[in-house]
Amino acid sequence: MPVLKAENVAAALREGSTARLAQDLPARFVCGQRVRVANINPQDHTRIPRYVRGHVGVVDSDQGVFIFPDAHARGEKVAQRLYSVRFTGTELWGPQGKADTAVYVDLFESYLAPQ
Amino acid sequence: MNGAHDLGGMHGFGPINREPDEPVFHAEWERRAFAITLAMGAHGAWNLDMSRYARERMEPGEYLRTSYYEHWLFGLQLLLTEKGFLSEAEIEQRMRDIADETNAGSES
Repeated sequence: MPVLKAENVAAALREGSTARLAQDLPARFVCGQRVRVANINPQDHTRIPRYVRGHVGVVDSDQGVFIFPDAHARGEKVAQRLYSVRFTGTELWGPQGKADTAVYVDLFESYLAPQ
Repeated sequence: MNGAHDLGGMHGFGPINREPDEPVFHAEWERRAFAITLAMGAHGAWNLDMSRYARERMEPGEYLRTSYYEHWLFGLQLLLTEKGFLSEAEIEQRMRDIADETNAGSES
């Protein structure tokens, strides 16, 4: 990692940083495809909210390739594709949910399996 | 990690109260906690996801009682001590020194 010198701080803050990677990877899922979210409960970092684990949603969009946070929190830089997945209220909350509620969650490819 | 940070779908927390013309920082120490966190990020000893995981390791009861930048400060202190930049004893000593300076100032 390059040293951040005082004269470069303003530009670095203005430009920010991104976890998006230029690298391309094959897409395992296509938009409109039904997917089930893994039910995993690691003791370290993951970006799967508990309320979608084990649930079925539909791939809404392919967001591109990013640094995979779960591995990055352990110091490993792994590229992985990220999808926006849409869930209905009834899928997530059962009878207390609404069928016309749509919840979008960005989920990494390894969290998902074809349904 | 199944911690207190993962609040989606939880009941009983009440409404989100939007603050009109909300300032970026509500106290001067928040500005400093933010700046030191970004400055240490530039050091490269850890990355964004390690920072998030550090904040998640706050004791759950404390996490729910404390504010956003208190979570940031906790994560920063945890990483600074884990990576050997500071010891907990050094942080505690500095806190005592500041308390002494503040008390001395208020007596004069």
